[in-house]
Order: sequence, then C-alpha cells, then structure tokens
Amino acid sequence: MVKRNHVFLLMLLMAFAFVLAACGAGDEKSSGNSDSGESGLKDKKILVGTEATFAPFEYMDDKGNIVGIDKDIIDAIFNELGMDYEMRHVGWEAVFQQVQNGELDMGASGITITNERKETFDFTEPYFEATQVIVVTEDSPIESAKDLEGKKVSVQINSTGHQAAKKLLGETNPNILAYENLPLAIQEVINGTAQAAIGDNAVVYEYLKNNPNAKLKVIEDDAFEKEYYGLMVKKGNKELLDLLNEGLQKIKENGKLAEITGQELE
Amino acid sequence: MEILDFRWDIIWNYRDYFIRGIWVTLALTLCGFFGGFIFGVFLGLGKNSKRKWLYWPCKLYIDLFRGTPLLVQIFIIHLAVIPSIFGHSLGFMVSGIAALILNCAAYVAEIIRAGIQSIDKGQMEAARSLGLNQFQAMRKVILPQAFRRMIPPLGNEFITLLKDSSLVTVIAANDILYAAKVVSGTYFRFWEPYLAAAALYLILTFIVSKIVSFIEKRFSIEYNPRKNKNDEGRVVA
Repeated sequence: MVKRNHVFLLMLLMAFAFVLAACGAGDEKSSGNSDSGESGLKDKKILVGTEATFAPFEYMDDKGNIVGIDKDIIDAIFNELGMDYEMRHVGWEAVFQQVQNGELDMGASGITITNERKETFDFTEPYFEATQVIVVTEDSPIESAKDLEGKKVSVQINSTGHQAAKKLLGETNPNILAYENLPLAIQEVINGTAQAAIGDNAVVYEYLKNNPNAKLKVIEDDAFEKEYYGLMVKKGNKELLDLLNEGLQKIKENGKLAEITGQELE
Repeated sequence: MEILDFRWDIIWNYRDYFIRGIWVTLALTLCGFFGGFIFGVFLGLGKNSKRKWLYWPCKLYIDLFRGTPLLVQIFIIHLAVIPSIFGHSLGFMVSGIAALILNCAAYVAEIIRAGIQSIDKGQMEAARSLGLNQFQAMRKVILPQAFRRMIPPLGNEFITLLKDSSLVTVIAANDILYAAKVVSGTYFRFWEPYLAAAALYLILTFIVSKIVSFIEKRFSIEYNPRKNKNDEGRVVA
C-alpha cells in the first residue's frame, strides 16, 4: 500500500514537471513568432492593455466601452501613424504581466515611469505630469505627509501612491492598506478604515468632482516627487517604441496632446 | 527557459509580509470557522425543525448566503453593512471574520441537517419508546451518532474556508495572498510570489487535513478507549 502511494506520487510529480516544461516551451515558441512577425508591425492590430477603473484616464462608459484621456491619446497617436489598435481592460497587474509575456503589445493605463519598471519595460517619452496627493476627511488633523506616521493609509496596490506610502511609512508597514483601485481606497477613508489615502492628483480630483458630498479634502505636499506617465512596451520592443514616440511627438507638436490632457508639458 | 531562473531571495526579503500573512489567514479562518460552526449548528437544527416559524427563516438565510458569492458578501459587509451600522468601518479583520462566519454558517447548517437526517428514523423511535423525550433523544442518541458522520464534511468546509479566506485580500487584509500580490507588484515577477503563496496554503491545508483525519479516527466506531493501555484511568466499569 505504501509503495503504491509512492508510485502515484512520483507519477503526479512527473505530470506536473511535464506541464511546467510545456509552459516553458510554449513561451519560447510564442516569442519566436512575434520576432518573425515584427516586420509587419504597421499592418498588425496593436493590443493595448489597460485597467479601466482609473477615471479620468481610463474608465468604462455606460455601454462598456473604454473611454478617457489615455484612450483619446492612443486614438490620436494611432491616427497619426495610420495604424489599427484594440484597447482591452485586463486589470492593473495583468497589464504588466501580459505586456511582459507578449500577450499584449503595450500598456496605456496612466502608468508612471519609474526606474524599477524600466528594468523590465521600455517607456515612451512622458505624456502627462502627475503628482501624488493625500486625501483626508474634512475634519482630519492631518496637514502634511509628515503627519501620516502611525496612521492607516490606503492606496491602490502597487501603484506609485503605494510606493510613496512605503517610502514614507516603511517598506513592510502594516498600516499601509492596499486595494485593487483608488476609488475603493478613498472610500475606505470615508468609512474610517484608513485615515488618509494617497493617489494620483488627476484621479483624486475626478473622484471629488463626482462625489461633491464626500466631505473630503486634498493635501498637496512637495515631499512627493513629480511623476510622468508614459506608454509602456516590453523591454527591447524598439520598433513599436519608436513608432509610439513618433506619433506622440506629432500630437505634441500639433497641440492635440495639450488639448486632451489640458496640460502643457515642456 | 525563463521559468527556471527563480529568484527566491525576493520572497526571503519579504518574509515578514508572508509570516504576517500566515497569521492573518489563520486568524481569519479559525475565527470564521468556529463562529460559523456555532451559528451553523443553530441554523441546521432550525432547518430540521417541524415548526414553520423556525424552519423558514433558517432556510431563507441558508439560501441567501449559499446562493451569493463570498466575494460579493465581503464587499457588502465591509463597504455597506458595517459602515451604516457603526457609522464607520471597523477594519478588515472585523469585516473579514464577519463575512466568513456568516458564509460558513450556511454551509455548516447544511452539514448538520444532512448529518441528523442520515440517522435512521428507528433510532429516534427506539429512544422515544425507552422514555426519553424529544430533546433527550436528540442530545443522547441522535447527535452523537450524527456528529461522527459530520466530521469529514466539516473538515472539508474548514479547508474550503481556509482557501476562501484569501478573498478577504480585496479589502486589504494582509493575508498570504496579499503578500504575494505586493511582492509581485514590487518586482514584476509572478512565479515566485504566487508559488510561495500556493505552497503556504498547501502546507496549511495539509496540516488541517491531518488533524481532521486524526479526529475522524478518534471518533470512529472501531476506536475503543478501553483498549488503550496507556490510558487506564479512562476505564469505566
């Protein structure tokens, strides 16, 4: 009986190993394909990944279409380039993972250009300047980033706001509460789970515009560094990157970008 | 092959996160299960009752909580129910445990009901004809027998609950899955953190299934405490 168990375990282990090996082989094949297909990039439909709960940059309208600033920018760029694209809502972390493994060609999701991300991805020139802001309830004693120490702070998981919170409060501080998206993190300030939220200015102001009765106030603090959003491609995908930069340059020059974002970027 | 290039040091760097994750997962599951068990016993007995005013509320509750996804229940409890009762949220631990208790109770209730119904009618008739009243017959004859049959499905429910506790991560409970998500977002690597999380859950469920099978043996018909020589104090004349 004991012996038979061992044989079964061994078989299970081998089956698992085969599955793993197959996964690895599959990866190699698909990356090989995209290499050979690169020459026809202009005729290909480019797959753009996003996380569409990030108004005003990307969100869903009442018909389920992805709309927002990023969508308009992508639209303008691909119009200039005369190329075809499809924007997909895949979820925040999936954007990174699927661009990395080649399932998506690029990501456009209000992604801040950071040094850590540059290790795995390539970014276009920046198209938007953002800062982190703190959101607190109107009667909160918190006045600046310094006051956040010892307080519970909610953020969107693995966003730059999350990184800013880690920098302020310590890498593994349990007082940092990370949620799937920023609206949920702000809701937690209203509910009292957290005393403050940290998030991108554009999204926070959009939230307050849509929830004028929320009794929240925004604190801007120079302690947060300026950040720039860029379009993201897999590291080494120079051909697509050059095309995107070319398109971005064109809409910068003809004023289309400033028109969409309402911001002059030098 | 890319997948062989594992960097386990990133898990090690974040070991505090994972260790805290294990405690949070265990706390959520244990509180959820024992709370759910106690609540579930009453629900199960209620659903077994012939009294309509007892039966219907229990049936409604069970249908409601078995028929909606736990994830949705977590959001409703955390973002709507608790803030409107208390005026503010009480943190992810309270919401998480509340959701797990309420959800688990519905499943435990069905296990209890099925266990009681699986005991032959003749047992109750025999007990009653020996002069025990309904309550005594239930407590002394039916429930001890039924309990033995409930152990395996209860163990099953515990393991399910342990795994489902990972859903509480959506309200930022820093459990095992949360640790994996944070690490994967920091390094943009997905194999190591999620495999580590899977391994931790596997170890926990393995331990639980060992405990359950021990309890099962302890309560089995074949087990006779009088035969146990190390345990002479227990011998009853």
